[in-house]
Amino acid sequence: MLDGVTKVFPNGTRALRGVDLAVSAGTVHGLVGANGAGKSTLIKIMSGALPPTAGRIAWRGRETRWHGPGMALQAGIATVHQHSPLVPTLSVLENVFLSSRGAWMWKAAGKTAELNRLFDAVGYALPADQLVGDLSIGDRQMVSILQALSQNPALLILDEPTASLSVSEREVVHAAVRNLPQSGTSVIYVSHLLDEIMSLTEVVTILRDGRVTLDEPTAELSKDRLISAIVGKPLLRTEQSGQGQPAANVQAGPPLLEVTGLNSPGRVAGVSFTVAAGEVVGLAGLLGSGRSEILHAVFGSDAAARGMVRVGGNPVRRSPARAVRAGLALVPEDRAKQGLIPGWEVWRNITLAALPEDSWRGMFPRQAAELRRAQSAVESLSINPPTPMTVVDQLSGGNAQKTVFGKWLYGGVKVLLLDEPTAGIDVGAKRDIQLLIRQLTRNGNAVVVVDSEFGELLAIADRVLVVRQGRVIAERDARRTSEMELVALASGLSA
Amino acid sequence: MAPVSSRHPARAGLSAFRLQRAGVVYALIIVVLVFQALTLSKGLPGFLSVTNVRNIIDQSALDGILVVSMTVLLITGNFDLSVGATAGLAGATGLIVANSHGILLGTLAALGVGVGVGVINGVLVQVVGVNAFIVTLGMLTAVQGLLLIVTSAKTILATSGQFGSIGTTLQRFSPPVVIIVGALLLVYAVARATGRTSPRRSGLSLDGTSVSAGVMGILLVAGALALPDLTTETTESWIMLAYMVLASLVLRFTVVGRRVYAVGGNGEAARLSGINVGRYKIGAFILTGASAGLVGLMYAGKFGAVEPTALINEELPVLAAAILGGTSLFGGSGYVLKSVVGVLILASLTEGFNVLNLGANYQYLVQGIVIIAAAAVYTVAGQRRRAATTAPEPSRGQTQPDGELPAAKATDEQVV
Repeated sequence: MLDGVTKVFPNGTRALRGVDLAVSAGTVHGLVGANGAGKSTLIKIMSGALPPTAGRIAWRGRETRWHGPGMALQAGIATVHQHSPLVPTLSVLENVFLSSRGAWMWKAAGKTAELNRLFDAVGYALPADQLVGDLSIGDRQMVSILQALSQNPALLILDEPTASLSVSEREVVHAAVRNLPQSGTSVIYVSHLLDEIMSLTEVVTILRDGRVTLDEPTAELSKDRLISAIVGKPLLRTEQSGQGQPAANVQAGPPLLEVTGLNSPGRVAGVSFTVAAGEVVGLAGLLGSGRSEILHAVFGSDAAARGMVRVGGNPVRRSPARAVRAGLALVPEDRAKQGLIPGWEVWRNITLAALPEDSWRGMFPRQAAELRRAQSAVESLSINPPTPMTVVDQLSGGNAQKTVFGKWLYGGVKVLLLDEPTAGIDVGAKRDIQLLIRQLTRNGNAVVVVDSEFGELLAIADRVLVVRQGRVIAERDARRTSEMELVALASGLSA
Repeated sequence: MAPVSSRHPARAGLSAFRLQRAGVVYALIIVVLVFQALTLSKGLPGFLSVTNVRNIIDQSALDGILVVSMTVLLITGNFDLSVGATAGLAGATGLIVANSHGILLGTLAALGVGVGVGVINGVLVQVVGVNAFIVTLGMLTAVQGLLLIVTSAKTILATSGQFGSIGTTLQRFSPPVVIIVGALLLVYAVARATGRTSPRRSGLSLDGTSVSAGVMGILLVAGALALPDLTTETTESWIMLAYMVLASLVLRFTVVGRRVYAVGGNGEAARLSGINVGRYKIGAFILTGASAGLVGLMYAGKFGAVEPTALINEELPVLAAAILGGTSLFGGSGYVLKSVVGVLILASLTEGFNVLNLGANYQYLVQGIVIIAAAAVYTVAGQRRRAATTAPEPSRGQTQPDGELPAAKATDEQVV
């Protein structure tokens, strides 16, 4: 179907470098790859949302060129994206047939019959007149799938349909996917959960760095081969990025951060750990595993979280304001939404968290002191352009991230909680941030870091806690584990 | 240190006076000049006569106090439709209590009503999470109903004339007070302009603050010396001006002010920076309620009576003035001073129509057009500015195109 597809973005990013992918009729085809491997881009090209830069798309044996998603849909390719927009105030029936065209009048009887036919096809039924807003996340996912099926597609692309679902909800989606080939629909199934891929699919294609690294019938695959195709050459990579010698930090001091019995309904379940001064602890887990939620629960920004958090032996009450006063700092995952004030310059963003320190009597900010601190942060983080006067909206991703970091480079911070500190930023900035983390630990800070790239996590962290469904399921010394082992643990294949 | 001071915002120089930033001030000047020309051409006494200017300021006093608080509330990302009704209720309650228990208790009762409404609004919006529009719309209706109940739908009259006495004492002192304030502003302007200069450079470094302070200082001193009558404003006007200056200074020069802008600019980022967002948002509601209480009290003092329809719908011109002043309805940006200028524009329009004997029929039509035009101008200017500032980012080789989030979602001067 796809033949040598290449996608080069206008900014020079090569997301896909000659991907071949063939899906046969009536099969479930697995598509797997780490974050940034090019899965999303590939899906967008197949569904017509993006044109390929080079290469051919053939649909049912004929070469085609989609001029937008509508055309692909008409030809019989329907896509269920990770967060499909549904209208919560409309019923299941109305949502499923939201995009159906044709009759002016809404013929409820005909639609109901068609809905029942769809229910049969997936082997799962929902009350047709229930409002979508009242459904569970799993049932909403089923509505999205039914919505795509209502177009009678020959190929259904499911982008991580189970990522945010509980185990029992997953089973429903799995059953539906198993039923589909019988009614003549092929499925491309994208997932991080390898046990799912192993049990559901007939063929697996694995992408890494925009290339196909494996394309074989599932039955002939072992888990180990699957993982090494996703990860690449894990050992080599860890060695390469590990020049900082995490071993140097191991003479860790007394526990600086102590977390006991941290719970947050539906997000975090009974998490306890300690981090010593000078230590970096990594949280390894898949998307939706609860790693970010653990950081927010520790920081107190999750109001529902209960449990004991101590910094330097003193309990911290559960609110971000108290956490900051106790010396906790959080660098959130979404810089634009959670980290920066739009329209403000770098300096005002940097001094926001500790403004009283730069103020006369803690009340009247002194601009000279603020600019001095911002300037030194800009210099030590090599933020570009090298001035604290830039308005943050104009910064690139890496520099915006460094600015969020810059907020916490003052004396009072003891423990840093970093959520995906290097996601989506270029190699140079990544390196700067890794060096900064080491610098911080050398100064006696404790760091907890979440990173989807396990190779990088192993390079930064001294110790890794594997997180799955809101729990810490394993603990590993960063020097005695491998990326493969972490992937296996995190995706539920006990290695 | 040296490289920092050379990059001081003063470098931006007089950008605060550009049309885009100070448009509302120029709009006021144009409105005033047009009316001046029209009145003179019709052989009437000039629009800029002492009496007229005093009238305009006097009529702006109550709305001015409300707009200062409303601007702070808008900056935190909320708004309040119930200020007019709350002021009416506070005025009536204050007067009833003052008639029976004396002025002090009456004052406390009025302020208490305002603070109480503010607390209820703030808690419902911030803690319970109900939309501010719905909460304050409901509050507007409920408080109007309460006003009818409290007054039994009859006008409450003041039984003693004490409310007015503070005003006259203040008026007697005002020319010297104005001269002193003007002189202080001048001294500050000169100190700022010279003090900012690095020792190696000579000459003045002018920025928006020093020039505004200087111009205001000169205007105040000259005005007080040349036309002493102009400075004998009513108490309400002086309270409004003092509140405006105080609020501007707090917003501009204190930690609290910086955080107010942060809370409205990006509440989540502010929260994760350790700012108690709820406290600031509820605080702004309480401030708005309290100043509504004060306004009700001043209304009662000014007229010696509160009718059951007192100050009804006053929230509309107040919100309109804040929009005229360029305050964003989405939070994070706004200036108290500009909002008060917005009130002055609306009051000038009213006064101008009166002086020209055009009657109230056209007045609202023109006011409405002015408000919509102002909002349109701000929106278009905001879009142009965003288009100009969001230059394409240089992107280095990376395999994750979706990871780079465009941070440019600033809506800081977008209105409506």
